[in-house]
Parts: sequence; structure tokens; C-alpha cells
Amino acid sequence: MTSTVDPVNLPQSTASNDTEIDREALARLLVEIARNVDPDNHAHFDVPAADHRMDTLRELLVGREISELSRVTHLLDEPEQLAAAVGDVLPSAAASASHAQLGEAFAPVVERAVRRSIQKNPRTLTDILYPVFLPAIRKSIGEKIDQTFQSLNESLRHIFTWHGLKWRFEAWRTGTSFSEVVLKHSLSYQVEHVFLINRNSGLLITHVAAENATSEDPQLISSMLSAIQDFVKDSFNEKEQSGLDTIRFGELRLWSEVGPFATLVAVIRGNPPEELHEIIRDVLLRIHDESSEALEQFDGDSSQLAGVEAQLQTCVELKHEDSNEGFPWLVVAAVLLVLVPAGGWFFLSWQAGQRWQAYVSRLETQPGIIVAEHQMRGGQFYIAGLRDPLAADPQSLLSGTQVDPARVHSQWQFYQSLEPEFVLKRLTASLAPPDTVRLSIVNGRIVAEGEAPDTWIDRARAAAQQLSAGGPVFDISKVRDVSPEARAAERWQAYVSRLGAQPGIIVADQKMRDGQFYIAGLRDPLAADPQSLLSGTQVDPARVHSQWQFYQSLEPEFVLKRLTASLAPPDSVRLSIVNDRIVAEGEAPDTWINRAQAAAQQLSAGGPVFDISGVRDVSPEARAAERWQAYVSRLETQPGIIVSEQKIRGGQFYIAGLRDPLGADPLSLLSGTQVDPARVHSQWQFYQSLEPEFVLKRLTASLYPPDTVRFSIVNDRIVAEGEAPDTWIDKARAAARQLSAGRPEFDISKVRDVSPEARAAEHWQYYVSRLEAQPGIIVAQQTARGGHFYISGLRDPLAADPQALLSGTEVDPARVHSQWQFYQSLDPKFVVKRLTASLTPPKSVQVSIVQGRIVVVGEAPAAWITRAQAASEQLSADGVVLDVSQLRELNLAELNYLREAIQTTDIFFSSGKVVPGPEQVPVLDRLADQIKEFAQNARKSGVTARFMLTGHSDATGRETANASISAARAETVRALLNKRGVPPELLLVRGAGTFEPLVPENIQTGSSTNRRVSVTVNLD
Amino acid sequence: MLQKKICMLGGFAVGKTSLVRRFVQSIFSETYLTTVGVKIDKKSVVLPDKTVDLILWDLAGEDDIGSFRVSYVRGATGLVLVVDGTRAATLAVALTLRERVEAEFGPMPFVLLFNKSDLADRWAIPDSEIDGLRQLGWQIYLTSALSGECVDDAFRQLASMVTE
Repeated sequence: MTSTVDPVNLPQSTASNDTEIDREALARLLVEIARNVDPDNHAHFDVPAADHRMDTLRELLVGREISELSRVTHLLDEPEQLAAAVGDVLPSAAASASHAQLGEAFAPVVERAVRRSIQKNPRTLTDILYPVFLPAIRKSIGEKIDQTFQSLNESLRHIFTWHGLKWRFEAWRTGTSFSEVVLKHSLSYQVEHVFLINRNSGLLITHVAAENATSEDPQLISSMLSAIQDFVKDSFNEKEQSGLDTIRFGELRLWSEVGPFATLVAVIRGNPPEELHEIIRDVLLRIHDESSEALEQFDGDSSQLAGVEAQLQTCVELKHEDSNEGFPWLVVAAVLLVLVPAGGWFFLSWQAGQRWQAYVSRLETQPGIIVAEHQMRGGQFYIAGLRDPLAADPQSLLSGTQVDPARVHSQWQFYQSLEPEFVLKRLTASLAPPDTVRLSIVNGRIVAEGEAPDTWIDRARAAAQQLSAGGPVFDISKVRDVSPEARAAERWQAYVSRLGAQPGIIVADQKMRDGQFYIAGLRDPLAADPQSLLSGTQVDPARVHSQWQFYQSLEPEFVLKRLTASLAPPDSVRLSIVNDRIVAEGEAPDTWINRAQAAAQQLSAGGPVFDISGVRDVSPEARAAERWQAYVSRLETQPGIIVSEQKIRGGQFYIAGLRDPLGADPLSLLSGTQVDPARVHSQWQFYQSLEPEFVLKRLTASLYPPDTVRFSIVNDRIVAEGEAPDTWIDKARAAARQLSAGRPEFDISKVRDVSPEARAAEHWQYYVSRLEAQPGIIVAQQTARGGHFYISGLRDPLAADPQALLSGTEVDPARVHSQWQFYQSLDPKFVVKRLTASLTPPKSVQVSIVQGRIVVVGEAPAAWITRAQAASEQLSADGVVLDVSQLRELNLAELNYLREAIQTTDIFFSSGKVVPGPEQVPVLDRLADQIKEFAQNARKSGVTARFMLTGHSDATGRETANASISAARAETVRALLNKRGVPPELLLVRGAGTFEPLVPENIQTGSSTNRRVSVTVNLD
Repeated sequence: MLQKKICMLGGFAVGKTSLVRRFVQSIFSETYLTTVGVKIDKKSVVLPDKTVDLILWDLAGEDDIGSFRVSYVRGATGLVLVVDGTRAATLAVALTLRERVEAEFGPMPFVLLFNKSDLADRWAIPDSEIDGLRQLGWQIYLTSALSGECVDDAFRQLASMVTE
């Protein structure tokens, strides 16, 4: 056999049918393999390792599997492809996986993933969970806060009570929190109903009620509760998924806990603790845990949820009622054991404290003691403060207080208390009031009453002023000043001693009683009057009661007085006391001497010696001569009596002289002179005394002056005054002439001749002299003839009218014949008058006469100044100076401004109206003021201003009507201006109709601007 | 215990409240209608195999559909639509209310009551229209609060519908 094997002609093309092996190729291959199978050869020929035929065979047999396998291998080896492949199947894989296993498998992975995510960026997860957590957290926090407050309230309520202590002990003993214990004990409540309500439909799932609780149909209630929840949620647009937490009605509270599918509502009576919320929530959670599915699928059939009732039952059993435990006797005993000794100790220290307090308050009520500080420390008492030295001793006040003085430590500082009683004490010490003064305290005021001398009162007043600074009032108004009494007594004593020293006064007794003075004694009538001696003693005479008995003092001076009184010694006798003797010296008639001797004899009995040996006896002759001389000297002083000779011879008196018959009668003058008329021999010759008074007397007797004449003596001249007819005056004048030979002068010039002619002449002269004094009148000639008066002369027309001057002169105008010729006086006064009349200077110009020159000063319009200058030139020809150099031209600027203001003013009218509307009133007021001011200023400047009021109308209507309405408007304005004080003569009126329009206008509508009254100013 | 929440809907013054007054258990005053906007009554209906408590939410009648509180209907399993037979407009109101409810909570069984059937002379709804609605398969009852006619039937019908 050859080793050459014909190659099997394998079809190159693969089988057309993939699913089927190329049978032909397989057969050929198998034939070839079979040819080669030779058992002998088998040992010699190894089948070549790389026999392509094997490959081919493999290809043929499992080629498709290989390619599939390689694809899968490729898929597994390429992570991206694998991921894509797994991703495709993962959701369905998870869905079909066993839940429990998948959960367990995923749990750690998810945990790790979440942890990783949080580590990477916590935000992501926070954002995801935020909507879930926030409401939960909010709710939880809210409840926690409520809970805290509740327990705080409870704790506070119980913390200091006996219960509180007990509960603290219990908390400590049981190791629970105090609040729990408080809760357990303090809150009394009962859960009466529990409703489990389907959240969706509001249908009742289960209702459990406490044994003793009743309610209406729970189905309706639960529905209504959810209706109300919906109502609240809708009404307030609340988006929260939670429901109403709490509804409270009196004792009853509805607490609801909202779960995902059901709401648990507990109806609680009483005061539930916040913790109850948690309990209810726990129940709800448990129900949801157990029956979540049934709850979710609840369709009104509660039979599925029978087990829930048991859970709710636990809620209903929640209650707490005030327990009534037995009394804790043991505790009480223990407490008592501690309390009794402690109480004892406390009582003792309390008592000590009380005593101390009593002492302190006693001190505080003490006047003059101010407790600043006090305390008890360690059983010792400390007190500090101020005390008045006059106040009670704080130490001594301790006695009786049961406070141990040894335990009291005081620290007192002295001060002066201003409490009235202390001030009183100090005042008593310092003022030392006299016994008559009593000091007392009345309503906090220190009142002094009684009597004291003024010196003391002064000191007291000073003290009162010092006190007024801050102390109590020291009222000394009730202290009577006794100084007057004392002083009065002093004065009285002075008076008494003065009386005692008085000669002729013997004071027997004197005393003072009740401000009255009594004195008694003897007084010589000639002694000084005790009463009069009072003067100057300042003793009130009204208070002096005197009782004097007269006696005759034998003291020489009294005797002298009595002698003087009884003997009436003539002036020529002088009595005096010489060495207690009364000596009379001088001259006296013998009768007097005889009486004096008799008196001397009387006196010799016990009185002083009356020595009259020194009195010379004066004879009656001598006295007669004396009298005569007195008479003579009396005559000599008589006017109209001239003593030429007198003498005394042989007891006869002789006298000779002249006497005026009008003088006093010398004989009658004897009476009263003690000159014996029988012994007087007079020889008088009459004469006319030229002494003025005698002349006057004689004139009066001889002239018989009329009553209208009065005589008087002026400087030794006899003056006659008054009026008398000329006949009497003639007689008087004759007498005067007679008298003129010697003295005195008889002046009758002051006697006016009252004869009519004379008087008329007098009047005339008076008139003439009056005329002559008139400026502008020159009297050329005047005569009085046959009772008529003639006068002629010149007169200026501007001078006073001579006729008018007659009035008041008593000259009869009918008897006056005047002849006056007019002339122009060049007297400056008249020139000024004429100028004023002709030039009419404006008010701004002053014309005056200065040293005979006429000076014109001021402002005037130019035209006036020109006229004044012309006048000045004319006058200069007559020698009269008219000085116009000081005239200034008037400044019309202000006037022009005013004129402008007036002329631009228009008064407007409504259509067809001739009276301006009320809105024009202010315009009219202003216009009137301006016109008045302008007119006044113009007048001052010598110019007359006139104002033309022109009325206008608009162009509507007939022309004639317009003309009349325009004039009427101007008239109205004139009346209105007149009413505002503008003189009507300054206002001219015209109507311009439509001819002077202000603005061109539309005939149809008219123009309000053209309905007006305009004003133009004209200056004359 | 089987309960179903039923909402009674209808226009203003169609007589919902008076219609059921005689047939239901009630503990709440009618003022709830004006205050809370809903009044809850209970009607127990005994069916052959069970007893159903219909919890009736009598919603305040409003012709203004806008003020209708849809949220009260949540969880309801059936409706009682009440129409005033003397006022044709109230039919439209009832139908609109039903549409709103179904739009919110999906279709639910209902009975349609034409009330005030005693007022035949003022009857305003043509029989043809009622027949037309009946042909839609709707359960329609002509009721009278006065006579109580058909009211029980209607509730019985609704109870069987909601417990199917």
C-alpha cells in the first residue's frame, strides 16, 4: 500500500444547510480515515499531530458551537460588552429574583453606595431626602418642644411641693427621669375613645371605647372628623399631609395621629401628658406595620382588620387617676426627728432676731437716733448710726429688750437732730429763756409763749432764723415783749426821783401795778406841776394816777414866789434870795412898802427872813411925772399933732403945740394915762397938716370924688385913679395945683376923662395908631372935627381892610370918613402874598423872607420854575429880591411809573354786563389806590392829574348798543372808583364802543379782552 | 361591618337633605351644611347577603360649581345625584358635578334622583330626556321627599352597586 493517499476531494464549499453536517464531506473523510486504519501500521505510523483532517473533522462536527463559544467568550472577556449585556437583563433579572434574597444581596451594596455617596457629596442625598425629612423633622421638633414645655410646667408645678420631693425620691429610687414620675403621678386623664379612620374615605375602620364612655355613632363621627380635617385643610389652603393634631373642647381633647393609610383619633378626657402622643403614635405605627396591606386596600369592609381592635384597646386603657396612697407615717416620723431639734434651734435664733428687731425698731422710733445700718451675724448684733447728744442713750434702751448687751456692738456718731424736741432742748440750753417764757412743741413747730424782754426776743429771733434753714419752725410770735413794761417802770422811777428832787414837791408814796403808776404826796401850788414834769420822761400820762395835796412850802424860793404873787411888787422892785433870805431891792410906793412889811412880819413866824430894807420909797409926784411923760410921748407920735412945748410945774402939767383938726383930740388921749386931766393945761393951735394922709382926708372932704375914682397914697404921693367927668377932673386938677405949692403931690393923671367926646377921641386915636401899625397901610392925614373923623392914605389891596379894623375900636363907623388910594406895597410880605396868588407855588415849594429877601426853596416842575424866574426878573426892577436859585426841578420818575401802572390797568366785564364781576374787585381796589396816590403826588408837584376812563365793548351786537354799553361801563367804573375815595372831578368818562379794540376779534364769539374799561392819565 | 362613603350631590335647594331626612340616622345638625359645607348621615341598607352602612356625605348644594369642595368626595365609592324635577337647570348642575368628581377621582357608581315628583304640575324635565338617560344604563329614580317614594329603592340600588 502506498502512503500516497488520494486526497479526498472535499467540497470546498460548506454545506448549504447550516444545521446539517455536510454528510458527503463527512463520508469522504471517514472513508479516508478508514483506509488508513491498519493495525500494523498503527504501531509504525503515528497519526501526525497536526493532521489537518482532524481540524476539518472538528470543523465539521462542532464548528458552529466553536464560533458561538468564541462569541460568548468574547462577550465575557470584553467588559464593555458584558456591561451592556448585563444592563439589558438586570431589571428583569431583579424583577424575577426572589425578593428576600435580592434584598439581602442588595442591602450591603446599597448601604455602601449610600455611604459612599454621602462621603462624596452629602448634598445629593440631602436634596433627595429633603422633601421626605423636612415635614417629619418639623413635626418631631414641634412635638419635642411642646413636650419640653409641658414637662417643664409640670416640673415647676411640683418641684417645691411635698409631692415633688416624694417624686424626686421615687425617680432616684427607680432610676427613671423625674419628668416621667411627674407624668405618672400628676396627670389625670382617660382615653375614652379611639377611632381608627381610613384616611382616604374617612370611613371608620375600628372604634374602641372605654368601659364607661359613650358616644354617638362612631361611623358618623369618624366621617365628620375627616370632613372637618378636609374643611380646615381646604379653608386655610394647608398643603401639609398631616391632619388636625388637636381639637380641644373643655375637658375633652381629640388627638389625632396621621399615618400613611389611617388616622388614629384618641378622645381624651382630662389632662393628658405630651408623652401620650408618643404612645398613640406607637400604636398607630404598630397597626400600620401589622396590617399595612389591609389598611391600604380598605374599602369599607373592616372585617379584614379585626386584629387592630386589640391594639386600640391598649390606648383606651391609658388613663391616670389621682391615686390615694396611704399616709407615709414612717417618712413623717423621720422628718419629725430631724425637724424638732432644727426647729428648736431656728426658733431660738428667730426669737433672738425678733428681739433684736424689736430693739432696732425701738431705736428707729427714738427721736434723735438714726439707725444707719444693723445686722445680725454669728449671734452678734451690730448696729451703727447717728445719735443726737440729747437723745436717749441707745445702751440704756437695751434694758427690758432681752437683748444681751454683751452681744451688741454699737457705733454711734453724734449729730444734731432737727427733730423738734431736740431743737427745743438745744434752744432751751442756748437761749436760756426767762421764767416767763414757756417753750413747747405744737404740731412739729416749736412755740414760745410768754413774756420776755426785747433783748431775749432778739436772740430768739436770730435762733429762729438759723433754724429756718432746715429745722422745725421756731414760732416766737406769741412771746410778748415785756421790755416796754420794764422800761416804763424804769422811766417811772426816773420820773419819781425827778419829782423827789423838785422843790415844793414831796413824794409820799408811789407804786406800779399792772402797768399803771400810782403816786401820792404833797406839792406846793407854786412848785413845778408834776403832770408837766411828765413830759420828756416817756411815761405815759394816761397810766399815771396822781394824788397831790397842796401845802405851802417854806423854802425861800416858794416863799419868794408867794410874795411875788401876793405883793405884786412894782417893776422897780427886785426880789431875790440871798443866803436863804428874801431880799427886796429897788423903789416902790409907800403903800407897797407897807404891805411888804406886813408880809415880812407874817413870815417871821417860821419862814425865811423877808428883808425889805433895800426898797426905796417912791413919791406919788414922781409917778405923776412919769405918767405925764408917757402921755406926752404918746401925743408926739400922733399924726396931725405937733407938740411944741411941755413942762411940769407945781403938780400942774402944761403943754402947747399945733394940731390938725382932722387929727386925734389930745384930751381924749388922756384917758387911761392916769394923768389927772384937771392938772393938764393945753394950748393947741389948729393947722393943716401936709402929711399925705391928712391931705388925702382933706381932698376927699373937699372934692367929693365920684365912686369911679379911688384915692390912695403911693410913696407919699396922693394918686387918684378911675374915671370921672371932665368937670370933676378940672376941680381935681385945681386942687392939685393948690397942693403943688407944698407937698404932697396930687396925681390925677390916672383918672380918665369919661366925657363922651374925650372918649370918642380916644377911641379914634387908638384906631389911627392901629392903622398905622398895619403893614400895607400908610396913614397920610387924619383929623377929628365936630365929632367926625377924617382919614386919608394909601393901602395895598392885600393889606387888611381899614374898615374891618374899625370893629372893636368903639369908633362909630358912621362918623369916619376915609379916603384910601390903592398902591402896591413893596414890603416883602406883600410881595410874597402877591407872588403866592399869581404863581400858585406847588406844595413842594417853600417861600420865605430872609433878611428882606424873598427866597424860594424846593422842587417844582420846570414850567413853574420858568414862571418864577420871570417874576424874579420883574421884581428886581422894583428893588425886591426874589431868589429862585435854590429851586430844583421835580423828579417825575415815580409819577411816571405810577402812571404806567394805572394806564396798563383794565377792568374787564362779562358779555353784556356793565358791572364788573367780583373777580375785578381787587383790580378796582388797587386802581383806586394808585389813582389817589398819583393825584396826590401830582398835586404836590403843582400839577393836576385827570384820569380818562374809556369804556369798550366787544364787536358782537349792534353798534349803538355797544357804544352805550361801553359808556355805561366807564360810568360804572367811575362810580366804583368814587366809592373807593377817588374824587369824581378827577375822573373823566367816555365810551369808545368797538372802535378801540385791544385785540382783533371774531364777530361771532366776541372777545372778553375787549370788554373792558381802560384808564389814561392826563396832566394839566 | 361594611361601610361605603357615598356623596350626595346636587344643585341648590334640590331637596337632598329633606329627601334623606326620613331615611337616615343623623346626629349632626343641618347647620353643618352651611358652616362646614358637609353633613354626614348614615343609611344602613340590608342586602340579601350583607348589611351595608352607607355613610352619606350630604354636600352643600351650590349652583356655583366653582365653590364645590371636591376634596369632600375623596374616598367615596358612590354618588347620589339629586335633581329638582321642577327646575331643568338642576339636571345640568348635577351632571356637571358628577363630571367634576369623575375627572378628579375616576368613574364611580351613582344613582340619579329626580326629586319633587309630587309636583307633577310644575314638572320641567321631559320624559324623553329621562328615558334617554335611562338608555345610557343610568339608575334613575323619581323621588319625593314628601312621600318618600323610591328613596329606599334608590339607596338599595346604590348599595348593591357599590358592594359588587
